[in-house]
Amino acid sequence: MSQTPLARLNAAHKRYGQVTALDGLSLEVNRGEMLALLGPNGAGKSTAISLLLGLQTPDRGSAELFGEAPHSIEARRRMGVMMQEVNLSPVLKPREMIGQVASYYPTPYGAAEVVKRLSLEKIAERPYGKLSGGQKRQVQFAMAIAGRPELLFLDEPTVGLDVNAREALWQVLRDLIHEGVSIVLTTHYLEEAEALADRVAVVTHGRLVAGGSVDEIRAYVTRKNILCRTSLTREDITAWPEVQELREDAGMQHITTRDAEAVLRRLLAADANVKDIEVKRAGLAEAFAEITAANSAAADASGNGMETAK
Amino acid sequence: MSASGSLMTGGRVLSAYLSDMRLELTKMARTPAFAIPTILFPALFYLLFGIAMGGGRGDAQFAIQALARWSMFGTMAPGLFGFGVSLAFERENGQMILRQALPMPAGSYLIARMINAMAFVAISTLLMLAIAVFIGHLPVSVGQALRLLLVNVTGVLPFCAIGLFVGSVISGQAAPAIINIIYLPMAFLSGVLFPIPVKFLQLIQPLWPSYHLGQLTLGAVGGTWMGELSHHIAALVGITVLFFILAMRKLGNRGISLLGRSGPTGTAMPLRRAVGLVMLAASIGLVLLGIMGGNAPHTANVAATSKGDSVDGSAAPPVAEASTAPLGVAAPVSPVIAEFDGGSAAAAYGIGFTATDDKMRGGNSSVSQRLVDGGADHTRAALEVTGDVGTAIQYPFVGTSFLPNGKPQADFLNQGYMDYSSRHTLRFDARGDGKNYMVVIMGPRVDAMPGMYGFVAGPEWHEVRVPLQDMGGVDLHRVKVISIGSMSPGEFRFQIDGVRIE
Repeated sequence: MSQTPLARLNAAHKRYGQVTALDGLSLEVNRGEMLALLGPNGAGKSTAISLLLGLQTPDRGSAELFGEAPHSIEARRRMGVMMQEVNLSPVLKPREMIGQVASYYPTPYGAAEVVKRLSLEKIAERPYGKLSGGQKRQVQFAMAIAGRPELLFLDEPTVGLDVNAREALWQVLRDLIHEGVSIVLTTHYLEEAEALADRVAVVTHGRLVAGGSVDEIRAYVTRKNILCRTSLTREDITAWPEVQELREDAGMQHITTRDAEAVLRRLLAADANVKDIEVKRAGLAEAFAEITAANSAAADASGNGMETAK
Repeated sequence: MSASGSLMTGGRVLSAYLSDMRLELTKMARTPAFAIPTILFPALFYLLFGIAMGGGRGDAQFAIQALARWSMFGTMAPGLFGFGVSLAFERENGQMILRQALPMPAGSYLIARMINAMAFVAISTLLMLAIAVFIGHLPVSVGQALRLLLVNVTGVLPFCAIGLFVGSVISGQAAPAIINIIYLPMAFLSGVLFPIPVKFLQLIQPLWPSYHLGQLTLGAVGGTWMGELSHHIAALVGITVLFFILAMRKLGNRGISLLGRSGPTGTAMPLRRAVGLVMLAASIGLVLLGIMGGNAPHTANVAATSKGDSVDGSAAPPVAEASTAPLGVAAPVSPVIAEFDGGSAAAAYGIGFTATDDKMRGGNSSVSQRLVDGGADHTRAALEVTGDVGTAIQYPFVGTSFLPNGKPQADFLNQGYMDYSSRHTLRFDARGDGKNYMVVIMGPRVDAMPGMYGFVAGPEWHEVRVPLQDMGGVDLHRVKVISIGSMSPGEFRFQIDGVRIE
């Protein structure tokens, strides 16, 4: 099995009039991995996906799917896709829709097989228009995998799903990865990326600002959270220079700091009765916030006036 | 899940096309708000205007022609709405983009939609045929039915193309209203469903594809049509190609390609662009040809000879088959019919020329004739016919008539025939107000299509030559009447002189 990436953006630029959507973005998706694409709205994630799907072409740089131009139908017969904000025909039934998409592929799953795997039996014969928002997303996901793709593009797959359905879908995604499928995922739920992704790419202003494993991304962030129960007042704690943020939640103090050791020493010295101390590394959410904020500040400071895509 | 799995066999590709077709049909069948009005309304209109009103007069030919007319109406909606409204919505709600991303085979969407529109048209036409046969008890022949079906099923294509273009331009919200604004006026301004009494609107009828398709459906049942069928076909083909190209360009600008996708930088691009431009120019040429041809004088049109055909829908009782009617008397050797120089409108033989209106058939046209000084070729006098064609009946016709073997005491049905089979040309000089006029030659069967030949009477005298052998259904062994006059509503004035048959 060759090691060429399944999908690749190489220094891709894309402008819409005066708006720069992608500013030299490079990405690679390798076999059997899940890449989570993170970034604020308008960062260029959707444009990046559009280029990889061949829906648009880069102004400069290149996009490849299975080593071919992404608009090649042969390349697209090896991938599945689930988009955001697609309204499908309200009168068709999920089983019919899954079968239709499957018919476009050389060796698809049968509609019944997909329905069973995703436990959609109850809704498979119900008109699409009568399904809830979450059920519609499940059907769209079923359509994405119906062709037995090697590469899946999933744009916000779990929006609108309840907790059980989301957990079930995550399990299917893990199974697919295990079977060797590659997945490109965009999501607003950072815990989703944290739970599933091998690699994370953070995109802002059309550029890759951070990339690596979830742990590597977290390491970008030096801040830590200290949780504790203490009799010290808010004023006592915020007076310490090392403390960036403080909030109280159900009697627990949440102290955010760049220097956990110094804060811990002060805490133990000032309050002999301090309890339930817990030190946490920042999650992906904090990392993400910090990375994107830092880049926005840099972009603003450099005054290049880059705007985000629609 | 190996790479070799991406090889798609021909069978798989075919099944993808079939799956798209099947689901498009399923969608439409499950959307009664589309299916019912699209199929039922034209059929109900036909029932009302074609059967109820035509049948009440015991008028089979009127009802068969009405079938052709309203079947055209039934063909417009599946094309315009099926493509226009659906495409506009699917463009907006993201379905179109999803289709672009999926490995849908090239053109599958268009083919599925087209088959869908054709299926709807087939149902619509078949329903009207059923109404004609079972409710109207009309003698529709299998040939007429098959030709009508074929014309309508293929005739939906220009409307598909127009719908495709409109759907590529407007928003889903606006689509139903805008398509209706196109659909209904286009249907009624064609003059195919009802005659239009406004001269200017008559003049621009050839602009509407509905007009051209209407002439073809009339031709399919052997009714009376205008212009040349080849011109109507040219106009419809041109409109189809023109709007299809415009729609593809518009969609291309929006990043949508329904014909399979290709890179914008491919080497084939200049070639594709050139081919596109040539086709665009060719389609505009065809449309212009069709429009010009559609505006030409009404020329001879051939009657289907099935029983019950007649141009005017007169309520006359059927008479014997032409072949069993007595032969006409032999025509005089002299080719001269009338010179109008002897102080009367009388011909060398027979009855006429006499002014004839359509009041006997329920019309409200008026006509009068007189001799005027100054005939063609500096002869003394000519016959001038003036009048006003009314719109009370479907096919008004007034003018001046000549019965070569006419008997003064007999009524029209029992007039004699003349055998003109040895003659090839009826010719006469004509001038007038520049409008279209018609030569009508009828045989024994008043319920059969007469031979018709159109000409324009311009300000200067010129010779009109009517090729008798090319007039289709006319039985030259048994000519009962030769009329020259007008079918176009409004006032008219023309002069004739030197009428000969040779």
